[in-house]
Amino acid sequence: MAKIVYVEPFGTEKVVEVPEGWTVMQGAVANGVAGIEAECGGSCSCGTCHVYVEEARIATLPAPDANEVAILDFVAAEVKPESRLACQIKVTPELDAMVVRVPTSQG
Amino acid sequence: MLSPAFRFDPYSPLVDADPFPFYKTLRDDFPCFWSADAKMWVLSRYDDILRALNDWQTYSSAKGNLMDELPNRAGATLGTTDPPRHDRLRGLIQHAFAKRNLDYIENHIREAARDAIAGCVAKQTFNFVEDFSSKVTVKVLFRLLGLPPGDDNLVRDKAVLMVQSDPVTRQKGPEHVAAYEWVQDYAAKVIAMRRANPGDDLISHFSTAQIEGDKLTEREILLTTTTLIMAGIESLGGFMTMFALNMADHADERRRCVADPALLTDAIEESLRYNTSAQRFRRCLAKDTELHGQTMRAGDFVCLAYGSANRDERRFADPDTYDIARKPKGHLGFGGGVHACLGTAIARLATRLAFEELHMAVPDYTRVEDTLPWMPSTTFRSPLRLLLARP
Repeated sequence: MAKIVYVEPFGTEKVVEVPEGWTVMQGAVANGVAGIEAECGGSCSCGTCHVYVEEARIATLPAPDANEVAILDFVAAEVKPESRLACQIKVTPELDAMVVRVPTSQG
Repeated sequence: MLSPAFRFDPYSPLVDADPFPFYKTLRDDFPCFWSADAKMWVLSRYDDILRALNDWQTYSSAKGNLMDELPNRAGATLGTTDPPRHDRLRGLIQHAFAKRNLDYIENHIREAARDAIAGCVAKQTFNFVEDFSSKVTVKVLFRLLGLPPGDDNLVRDKAVLMVQSDPVTRQKGPEHVAAYEWVQDYAAKVIAMRRANPGDDLISHFSTAQIEGDKLTEREILLTTTTLIMAGIESLGGFMTMFALNMADHADERRRCVADPALLTDAIEESLRYNTSAQRFRRCLAKDTELHGQTMRAGDFVCLAYGSANRDERRFADPDTYDIARKPKGHLGFGGGVHACLGTAIARLATRLAFEELHMAVPDYTRVEDTLPWMPSTTFRSPLRLLLARP
């Protein structure tokens, strides 16, 4: 379990207890977090689960693989160093209290 | 903890016709159930299935993903390969199925729908499967894969046969395997044609592709192409038919969609949740796993019942209600995780456009038969025939 803090597009915070083994994307869609579309179901093919991970944590996550890097080219909102696809972030206890910001557009 | 009284038999016509009561018993009483009939464990709760989908290291697809797997298929298709090779294989072709790259096919879908509709409105009662969905999905698939025109009906018939099983012998029958081999031969001919004259189409790209210097094996090219044909025709056709069934049976919802076609998007998502045609897929355990007091052994097969996960009230409130305002994010109608359906965007697009067109010409229809002839398939669920009557 880890508490993930989702900051929705217009600032509302939603804190979700996400089970270990779920992805940050799944924690969002299962708990009504606004702004994460996840059109492709988590298969790293659509770029509609784009999030900005808090700067303090971005380097602690396992690096994105080649497929994720490729899809990040297609996200609707501005790509920043802390941009990730939420479907590629697996929840572990180490992620507890991590903050992710949801951009205002997923395309 | 087995109950001798409860059976879950995916070969049973009762399960074809209505799996949902069985799923409820599984979820509530036997969430990790050894099915002697299926010879595998059955997972039915949303949480357990989601976790299995995420944990491919434990729940491997490499020994086959269809409940009744076809010979020599496992290990050679996207759905039957684990990461990391899976990710590289999928990375080669998924751009062709991305929503952003499908604009070109919209008019084609509408034209295919209009052509089929002309045949439907010529009669009082039409068969949605034969007169509409099978015609539309074949045309769309042919366009998507750049297949040479002709042979449409034959390819379609074979694609539908290959996903079925014999409920009496409880396995693929000779006719099902023969259909699968026919589609393979057909795919082989198309691949050979494209190699001789490569074009800017998916099969040309796919058959000449390399992953980090490794070429795709002949088996991978052939069987992945075969699967794309099966999925594009049978899976998509089956889903469209299930959507038609829901629109026929839920008249108020249909009328709202006719009045405002923008509602079709949400109605389609809710159908994917409520009664997806992709009911059950399987995995193979890479290691012993404990779940709900059961010990599943390495090498055991496990059924992931997406159709049950989608009706799990632990995840979806009032799950047995078809509610087109629900917006069921996170449903498993397309599976989920690394193997989530490649055709997600095309399925949504084709279904929406086909029904926009259909509803303009045929806004009102009712089901004729109370009992439907359900396809005998351990994996998929859709009726072989859906007669709809216009007023």
